[in-house]
Amino acid sequence: SLLFLLLLVSNLLLCKSVSSLPICHSGAANCQVSLRDLFDRAVILSHYIHNLSSEMFNEFDKRYAQGRGFITKTIKSCHTSSLSTPEDKEQAQQIRYEDLLTLVLRVLRSWNTPLYHLVTEVRGMQEAPDGILSRAIEIEEQNKRLLEGMEKIVGQVHPGIQENEVYSVWAGLPSLQMADEDARLFAFYNLLHCLRRDSHKIDNYLKLLKCRIIYDGNC
Amino acid sequence: QPIEKRCWKLTLWHFRTRSLLIQSPYHWPGPISLLLSPAEWSNGSMYLNIESSTFWLLLGQSPPGKPEISKCRSPEKETFTCWWKPGADGGLPTNYTLTYHKEGEILTHECPDYKTSGPNSCYFDKKHTSIWTLYIITINATNQMGSSSSDPHYVDVTYIVEPDPPVNLTLEVKQPEDRKPYLWMKWFPPTLVDVRSGWLTLQYEIRLKPEKATEWETHFAGQQTQFKILSLYPGQKYLVQVRCKPDHGYWSKWSPESSVQIPNDFTMKDTTMWIFVAVLSAVICLIMVWAAALKGYSMVTCILPPVPGPKIKGFDTHLLEKGKSEELLSALGCQDFPPTSDYEDLLVEFLEVDDSEDQQLMPSHLKEHPGQGMKPTHLDPDSDSGRGSCDSPSLLSEKCEEPQANPTTFHTPEATEKPENPPEANIPQPWKAQNPSLEGKIPYFHTSGSKSSTWPLPQPPGQQDPRSYHSVIDVCKLAVGTAGASATLLDKTDKQALKSSKTIETGEEGKAAEQKEVENLYSKTDHNTAWLLPQGKSPYISAKPLDYVEIHKINKDGALSLLPKQKEDGEATEKPGAPETSKEYAKVSRVMENNILVLVQDPRGQNLTLFEELAKEPPPSLAQDQAEKDLTSYPATPSHCRLQLGGLDYLDPAGFMHSFQ
Repeated sequence: SLLFLLLLVSNLLLCKSVSSLPICHSGAANCQVSLRDLFDRAVILSHYIHNLSSEMFNEFDKRYAQGRGFITKTIKSCHTSSLSTPEDKEQAQQIRYEDLLTLVLRVLRSWNTPLYHLVTEVRGMQEAPDGILSRAIEIEEQNKRLLEGMEKIVGQVHPGIQENEVYSVWAGLPSLQMADEDARLFAFYNLLHCLRRDSHKIDNYLKLLKCRIIYDGNC
Repeated sequence: QPIEKRCWKLTLWHFRTRSLLIQSPYHWPGPISLLLSPAEWSNGSMYLNIESSTFWLLLGQSPPGKPEISKCRSPEKETFTCWWKPGADGGLPTNYTLTYHKEGEILTHECPDYKTSGPNSCYFDKKHTSIWTLYIITINATNQMGSSSSDPHYVDVTYIVEPDPPVNLTLEVKQPEDRKPYLWMKWFPPTLVDVRSGWLTLQYEIRLKPEKATEWETHFAGQQTQFKILSLYPGQKYLVQVRCKPDHGYWSKWSPESSVQIPNDFTMKDTTMWIFVAVLSAVICLIMVWAAALKGYSMVTCILPPVPGPKIKGFDTHLLEKGKSEELLSALGCQDFPPTSDYEDLLVEFLEVDDSEDQQLMPSHLKEHPGQGMKPTHLDPDSDSGRGSCDSPSLLSEKCEEPQANPTTFHTPEATEKPENPPEANIPQPWKAQNPSLEGKIPYFHTSGSKSSTWPLPQPPGQQDPRSYHSVIDVCKLAVGTAGASATLLDKTDKQALKSSKTIETGEEGKAAEQKEVENLYSKTDHNTAWLLPQGKSPYISAKPLDYVEIHKINKDGALSLLPKQKEDGEATEKPGAPETSKEYAKVSRVMENNILVLVQDPRGQNLTLFEELAKEPPPSLAQDQAEKDLTSYPATPSHCRLQLGGLDYLDPAGFMHSFQ
């Protein structure tokens, strides 16, 4: 609920800041929300999503994963590992911002399906913890919005980019539905672990891009 | 095989538990065995020779204990350091190595830098640091005896970011002209953190407190690197600290304290305030002076009011000078003292004395208020029925009765009076209340309730009528006895006493109360002053059938018109066994001028020389001033009382006139 409030406030602030600009409705052709505002909104969303993911992972880890050594098995287990994302600051600064934007889009798109299934599967859990379920629902919602925003940004920053919808396919659904509780719990653990990592990546990339594109590398 | 020997001193030997404490400056993690003084070397059991203060401790050796990684931190998300905690030494120099491999890699690397971050640490520089990658790190400890490895430690640099504190915290007290002064503080992010590229986003928090305070005041500053603090205490020295936190990491440590002295900035405000205060006080002074001038009195009188002179409420000295004593005394509150125009009413009431029990002491007006009882407020001179009045010849005749009445009875107060104490006790108070002016003059009228019953009651309460008359007479005697003024006062007291007695009567047993009342008055006076009616008066108490003369009315000149009253039989004798003594009756033969009634002594009557003597004795305790005043205003009083006294004897009016005049 606190996160909701934060998002609401941030949205209100965003709306305020663009009060001088025409409001863009989805579908409007010549929408001129400034890039700065788009990036601000995107960064706020990505920051929010990562906070939710981190909390969700910590809660799951505390409740279900103690002493099971799950972390030892999460080596290169994320479905988005195939996407070659920069692994440190130098790499991130060396990559072109267009590529980085595209990468962000890909990662975001790669998480549509897993997030959807995460929600349904957490709902189906026997003692579905409220914190995890509500956050999963929220993350799914916000991820969609962030994707829309990013597409807008890309449309402004890098128009004409080829809209090849490349993304990583997630094949972890059967694992989430396994009968073996240990395996199933590990599947959830792994999924949440990967979500935490990828949301941090997205947040970091967007902040880098914002500073680079909007503030010219001088935040 | 013991390789090394070290020597310690025995520091403590606990005799009872046979334990000893050896303190060593060395930390020896390896196994230790105790070697006593060389001769008593024993493996299994120890023979402790406490006389010897030297022990050998043999330090055994073993492979090293298991180390463990304690903490890994990255200050800027570009490098990181891991620290470990070594295990048991094993008594040998131990070598520690850190090995790691990254997620997805097979190759194992060793720590690139053991030095930079201090002992037991491994520093990963930028080249060796990968974000969003799991590191699996292991520590190996090796010594001559063997080696041991720690558990693998999984760490992702993404989540271990803890920056250094912000740097260059500067404080400044800014005092703009049109606003209040405030504290302005500025700082810089830690040097290593790259905020410019957006790699890390920092949020700051500052805290401050006065130097002597214990609690810090914390403020969240967001992403800004400056802050304003308003409302600080001037003249205080403040300490300020700042810390930062990356967007998804740990808070840094607090920066070193910076101090700032808030100056006493009252220069401007002080002047303004004092000017305001001066103006305000000047305005107030002006207002006060103006108000005083308006009202006409000086400040001196306002501050120091004059001391009021003595003043008797209601007493107008001018009236006194003019000689209008009636007005004067009426102003003083002496109602009907002296009686002015209501002589007739008063005396009529006073003189309506009956033998019959029913009528006696039960004035009609009082019957209307049966519950008044002891209330002194109901005593109204005008409402007095005049029972038991001094003017009643019946009373006088009663006085002529047994002068030799039982003296013992006269003096036996308490025993008989006790059952009647409650009513008696109330008696003095109404008198008191009614006659505060008399209190000072007749102190004996005060409470002496227990002794008020010096007046004996030989008769049951039902037969109190003659007594009442007697007491009234006695009271009147008292009044006359005192030189002039006292008489007047007493007279008034009498009236009030009678009234009170009457009122009390209505509420109570009737005659008994009144009689007691009068007796009380009588006895009080009698008790306290020698000049009061002596014991010799007791004879007059005895009740016997009397002849009554009813004073019908009194003229303004004080002339009495008398009417003979029918004698009533059946009056109970007070003392059936009382000795028959000759009683003296007086009859009014004529009225002389100057309002003197000439009473003729009954041939059966007694000699009342005693009364004469008494009457002539001036009361010592009575104040003369009031008496003189009363004399001037109430010339009729002596005659009134004289009548009473003269009931049994003819008193020389000259004597009284003299005293009164």
